[in-house]
Amino acid sequence: MHDGHDFSAGCIVKSPGLVSRIAAARGRNFGLALTLILCLLLISLFSPKYLSLDNLLVVALQVSFVGIAAVGTAYLIIGGSVDLSIGSQYALCAVASAMLARSMPSSLAWCMGILIGAALGLINGLMVWRVNISPIIITLGTLTIFRGIALRVTNGFGVRGVPRSFAAFGQARWLNIPMPVWVLIVLATAAQMVLHYTRQGRHLYAFGGNREAAEAAGIDGKRLLLLCFALNGALVGTSAVLAASRFGSAAPTFGAGFELDVIAAVILGGVVFTGGEGSITGVMLAVVLLGVINSGLISIGIDPHYAQMVKGLALVIAVTLDQVTQEQQERHRKKLAILERASSA
Amino acid sequence: MVRCIGITKYFGGVRALDVVSLDLMPGEIVALVGDNGAGKSTLVKILSGIYQPDEGSIWLGDVKVPQLNAKRAREFGIETVYQQLFLCDNLGATANVMLGQEPVRYQIGPLQILDQRRALEEARQHIAELGIDLADLNSPVRRLSGGQRQAIAIARATVKAHRLIQFDEPTAALGVRQTKATLALIQRVAARGVAVIVISHNLDDVFALAERVVVLRLGRITLDTSVAGTSREQVVACMTGMTFRRDAL
Repeated sequence: MHDGHDFSAGCIVKSPGLVSRIAAARGRNFGLALTLILCLLLISLFSPKYLSLDNLLVVALQVSFVGIAAVGTAYLIIGGSVDLSIGSQYALCAVASAMLARSMPSSLAWCMGILIGAALGLINGLMVWRVNISPIIITLGTLTIFRGIALRVTNGFGVRGVPRSFAAFGQARWLNIPMPVWVLIVLATAAQMVLHYTRQGRHLYAFGGNREAAEAAGIDGKRLLLLCFALNGALVGTSAVLAASRFGSAAPTFGAGFELDVIAAVILGGVVFTGGEGSITGVMLAVVLLGVINSGLISIGIDPHYAQMVKGLALVIAVTLDQVTQEQQERHRKKLAILERASSA
Repeated sequence: MVRCIGITKYFGGVRALDVVSLDLMPGEIVALVGDNGAGKSTLVKILSGIYQPDEGSIWLGDVKVPQLNAKRAREFGIETVYQQLFLCDNLGATANVMLGQEPVRYQIGPLQILDQRRALEEARQHIAELGIDLADLNSPVRRLSGGQRQAIAIARATVKAHRLIQFDEPTAALGVRQTKATLALIQRVAARGVAVIVISHNLDDVFALAERVVVLRLGRITLDTSVAGTSREQVVACMTGMTFRRDAL
């Protein structure tokens, strides 16, 4: 099938437009990387100190919490599902881990926080699998439930009396790079490799692309879905424990709006909400881009409220571009199909 | 050889299949025709393990198969190409053809590392063997035409099926040229020594393709003969239950 002109039936099919051709060929990652570089250049023009190593490390630290959770959400959405309750999972894991640290060794409390996250994710997964309703609705329910539990166990207050040793995980540094950044780098790299090079990753794309086809080919969809939900919970737990540990404590109000930041980054990163498309590389570029927009606008002295608007605008522009590209390709395909039929008649 | 003996299937009080017996020889193309509700799809679904028969048995060679389920059927080398094709539009031809049986290079714990080069080679080989003309095996199949998508679905079925491939209305959605190509493709599949069942409403296709035609009517086989030894009139008569007068030939 050629991409340009088709003369086989004596008429010309115009190929998709230049913009969508570049978009299709270079892909989302190229656009994101380009935008990121432009943003960094623009910001450093007004605020030269922004590009200093110390400042970049601060930015990296800021984005790492959303970034770790975005890995899990990317897997879920690629697999054709979603978990909206991650903000509440984040709060519950953080307060649970901080509270447990009062009565057990800190290292055990960190692990418990992560395990609780995995369990919360698994609960969501089981319900999504059993109840034949959109995961959006079900996890919207557990979003409220988990937040309620976090508020109840803390009576609405921050956790007090957390031992100092609890902070060791989140505040640790290696080669002067903060622990959350290391965790993000390792997890994102591993996640991208698994997605791209393993059978399980391939099956996740297949399942997200066409659930029935994947199962007809013998792929165990239930196992895949539950695994993704549990993994997502564990990653949210990791992010929450790192944050709680970094602050040395936690509050039940942690992670309000967290799910929106994470999902926005994942979608901006090129993961299609209907599933089957996207990569961790793109998601990480989007996480960093959103972090840079956030901190950059503040550092050049623009009202931080504008950062909100710019981030939202970036998302809207990105998905609009996607849609336009897709529709152009679809039109192109239809024309070819009509030609194919015409030439055979 | 795949053999059905005395297959009966009830849906509630309705007898969808009534003591149906059928032998399928390797390399033979059998057209399964009949009116709506005649039991064609029920028979295909029993052979692919989706439905269990209430009575009767399925034999593979001399071995009786107890409780044929979908997974077992696949293991026994029975595949079905449905009208919906069941392709993953987001994946390329290679990934679709190899779906569920991707070659693995090595294993790290539970993670199986794909052998992408071998997958591409195997897919290309299967596609070439069937004489399918497809240049790009990696771009998403949603960009391909109906005929090409059909060909990919057939190629996938041939990877696994070594006993029987069933086609459910393979040409219903295709243009004239694609229909011709698909029929030729089915013939090449059969030539590899696989038994083939084709459900079709199109008697042109049936007479162009099949060696044997089996007519179902209200769950019973009303005709099972070689294509050479019958006529359209007889097939239609057996489908509809109208009396067939030989002097009308």
